[in-house]
Order: sequence, then C-alpha cells, then structure tokens
Amino acid sequence: MTPAWLLDIFAAVMLGVAAVSAARLVAARPGGGGRGTALADIDVAHLLMAIAMAGMLASSLRTLPDGVWEVIFGVLTAWFGYRVVRDSRVSGTRALAGGHCAPHLIHAASMLYMFCAVTPPSAHAPDGTSGMAGRGSGSMATLAFPLLAFVFTLLLAGYTVWDLDQLSGPGVRAHYSLAAVPLAPVPVLAGVGSGGLAPTPAPAPAPRPAEPNPEPTGSGPADGQGRGVLAPWVAVSCRIAMGVTMAFMLVTMI
Amino acid sequence: MSDIAAAGVRSAPSRGPATAARAAPDARRLLQLVLAGIWLLDGVLQYQGFMYTKGFSDMLADSASGNPGVVARPITWDATLVSHHLVLLNSVFATIQLLLGLGIAWRPTVRPALAVSVAWSLGVWWFGEGLGAVLTGAISPVSGAPGAVILYALAAVLLWPADRDIRSPFIAARAVGAPAARALWLVLWLSLAYFALLPASRSPQGLHDMIARMEDGEPGWVAALARGAAAVVAHQGLAASIVLAVALAVIAAGVYLPPRLMRATPILALVLAAVIWVFGQALGEIMAGGATDPSSAPLLALLALCYWPARGYWPARTALARPAEGTIAA
Repeated sequence: MTPAWLLDIFAAVMLGVAAVSAARLVAARPGGGGRGTALADIDVAHLLMAIAMAGMLASSLRTLPDGVWEVIFGVLTAWFGYRVVRDSRVSGTRALAGGHCAPHLIHAASMLYMFCAVTPPSAHAPDGTSGMAGRGSGSMATLAFPLLAFVFTLLLAGYTVWDLDQLSGPGVRAHYSLAAVPLAPVPVLAGVGSGGLAPTPAPAPAPRPAEPNPEPTGSGPADGQGRGVLAPWVAVSCRIAMGVTMAFMLVTMI
Repeated sequence: MSDIAAAGVRSAPSRGPATAARAAPDARRLLQLVLAGIWLLDGVLQYQGFMYTKGFSDMLADSASGNPGVVARPITWDATLVSHHLVLLNSVFATIQLLLGLGIAWRPTVRPALAVSVAWSLGVWWFGEGLGAVLTGAISPVSGAPGAVILYALAAVLLWPADRDIRSPFIAARAVGAPAARALWLVLWLSLAYFALLPASRSPQGLHDMIARMEDGEPGWVAALARGAAAVVAHQGLAASIVLAVALAVIAAGVYLPPRLMRATPILALVLAAVIWVFGQALGEIMAGGATDPSSAPLLALLALCYWPARGYWPARTALARPAEGTIAA
C-alpha cells in the first residue's frame, strides 16, 4: 500500500492550504483592509476541503464524521453548481472551460463522491469514519463506482494544468484579476470548440450589459489586485495543490 | 465575486483584445497541456499502492523476457535495484512524472520539461517497458505497441515550442517541418500495421486472448466490453489482424493525401484509437488498479490531433502563391 509518510506529506500540504485559506478569510474580513465578504465562498471551500482531505489522508487529523462532510460538500456542490449555471447563461459553455466556478464545482463534487463512495479498509472503522489508510490494517480504502473516480481524476488533472498555464501566462494579471470590470466572453479553447485546431485569433470582447456576479466591494488596492496573502495567485496555487492531492487520493483509492 | 476572476469570462477592457488573445492559448499550447495532463495522471498513477509492492519490480523484470541479452541485462539490473529500494525509487519515479506534468503546464519551464520528458520516456521505454517488446515479436497495437511511453517522447518532439515552418499544414510540422513530421507519422503507423500482422496477433486466438486478459480486475461493464470484443475476434485472428493492419496502413499513408482528403486521416486515427482504448485496452486498465499509464491509445489520439489540418493553411498558401506568380509574370 501507499506508504504512510507519503500520505502524511500530502496531509501536511493540505494543512498548509487550510492555513492559507483561513489567513485569506481573516485578511479579507469586513474592516480588515481586505476585499469584503463577497469573496468568501472560494476560501471557505478551500478551507473545508483542505481540512477534510487532511483528515482522509491522516486518520489523526480527522475532525468531523463522514455524514457531516457529506452534507457540507453536498451544499458546496449545489452552490457552485448554481454559480456555474448562472455563469453559463452569460458565457455559455466557456464558463465550463475557463470559469473559476467550474473547477470548484468539480472539487466539491469530487469530495462529495469520495465521502459517499469510500469503502473503509476494515469493516470495523471507528465511529463511522473512514480514511484512506487503515493504519495498522495494511490495507487501503477503496471507492465504489471507479469510473467516476477516473472521470474526476481526468477533470482535476485538466483544471490543474489549465490553472498552471493561465497562472504563468503573459496575461495573468488580467486573467486572474480582481478588478471590477464588465464581464465579456473570452474565446478560451476557441480552436477546439469551433472544430478546428489552428491557432485562433481572439475576437474583441463584447461589452456586456449586466454583471451577473457580485463585484468586490472591499477597500482593496486601487487596481483591484490583492496583495500578500490576498493575491490572486495564492488562491490559484491553493486550488492547484488541492487538485493534485485530490487526483492522488482518487487514483490511490480506485 | 471571487478574487480569481473567471478565466474566459472576465477580461479587462483597458487591455483589450490583446489580453484576451494571450489568455487563450493557441492550439499547440492546448495540446501541450493535454500532454501535461497525461504526465500528471502518470505521476499519480505511479503513487498507487500496487507500485509499492513487489508486483511493480516483478513487472519491470518481466519486461526483460524475450529481449536480447544486451537489452535484457540492464532491465534485470534495474528491476533488482528497484526491488531493493522500492519505496524510495518508486516515490522518485512518481514525483518526476508529476513534476514533468506540472513543468509542461508552467509556461516558463515548458522547454526543459519537454526535453527531460523525452529523456525520461526513452529511459522508461528501455528499463520499464523492455523497448515496448518490439524486439520480442509478442506485441500488437491492441496491447499497446510500441509502448505508450515512447509516444510521449514523440509527442514532446512534435509539440516542441519552435516554429521551423510558420506556414505549417498541421501543428506537428511547426517544430520539425512538414516533411519530417509526415515521415514520423508514416513510420509510426506503418510500424503499427506491421505489429498487427505479427504471429502474436494473427494466430487464430491471438487477439482474442490479448483482449480477454484485460477483463481481470475490471469493473463489470468494462469486463463485459472486453469479453464482447474478445468474442468477436475469437478464432478470427488472421482476418481481424489484416483488417487492423489495412486500417493502420491507410492512416499511415493518409498524411500524404491531398488537403481535402487528409482531414479524414486524423479522424480515422482518432476513431481507431478510441476503439482500441475502449475494447482492446480496457481504458488503460486504470480502474483495475496497477496501471502505470493510460496505455498507448490516448497518446495515439493526441498525436492524431497534432496532425489535424490547420484551418486556413491551404487558402493562405494559395493566396501567397498568387502574388509570386504575378511577380514572375511582371
């Protein structure tokens, strides 16, 4: 089975993500010089997912019973599903390809799936909880419906490499911008989406009549870019770390 | 609204279309990201529990069988070394593959990551896959010939971020030029056609046995697909091998067809890769556990996309040719 120290390393990474997400929430609280509470959903989701994953990876870090986590991630899945639907009304399928809510929907749904489909390594898991490794039992937890695990793994890998590409691209500041600007569809994946694979020049963004999402209302930097722990790349880095860890967990439990 | 403004949804108007264009990678970059995703998948697959058991080193040792001594001896040495330091070496292997995926996805490191991926792929092809068993004769395109990992190296070469030919008919030609890209395609698919006609495939039960073995450990519906496919080719090894070889040879030659017909070539390659992956490779056996990669078919599909005719190439070339003719006439 996968060595315990490896699971512990991933658990430590998740604790780091949880700490960073908590710091972002504190820094962004109203009156805290941050951006206001309108930004909380992503960081709350990161915080909860990181804590839950740390508990699955290392049994000593378990916090809540599985049933509670299932409810939490059910709510998060529904919330991000709603956000994706709302975004898709504005940007169509591009909201799925490049929108920031779609990756979080996949993350939340993956967590929900893991808690619902996990089969404990031993039939006598303590107090109804289950983790990946049955410490001392020499066996690993497994997942029912492995096709779902495979599909989620592919989606997580896809969003992770996409995030890395966008984070390191020359248009990163605009792309991951905090700035309150009108929404406009950007032809992400234009070449593939239109049936061709040739490099496709992007058409000019069309002005939008209405902003479907609430805008940041906090007193952040003038250019809208967060700084320090509130910098956009911090949140994206957390998402990348969680994507890799989640893919690792899904594959090792297939 | 999140601080992570929606990629593809939000753009700063002050930066205009140029920013939007930067945010949307071109087709070659998209294919590089697909390759990165597959490397990332390989990395997490290598972390599976099975890879930390003796089964992994035994799998490496098995790849030596049937190979000439000069090829087999280093494989045996490597397998022995891995068995002695299983946890450490497998963790290193998995981490390297994970980093290759992340490195290709991170734009500043795409070149070194692709270069290392070529070297790593060649090493794994020898020490991990016994040169894909191409020297043993016991292979078939259905079973993953010529070894998935060598296709990673080929994809990395074809997706290298250089523009040798800026008016390329397809993405693969941008880095190595159209003649070399066509030659590589021809060699790959003709070799697959040759492998399809080897005794391991063309014997009456060759393909049947190959596919039937995929059932082990798979979920019921995947096993049922494999069982059904195996039943179709039962006692039909020769006929099925000839049909497969003809299809592969047509794909190989298709890259030299006129532009309109050439578009059918990657489509046929994609369809064939999908059929092989679903029915012959049991989706890479990932759901059975113990797979080190998603098998060769997804890589064949990625390569097919590298040869997708570039939109606007042929009209553009015609348009460029006309002034030249006019110049000569003048």
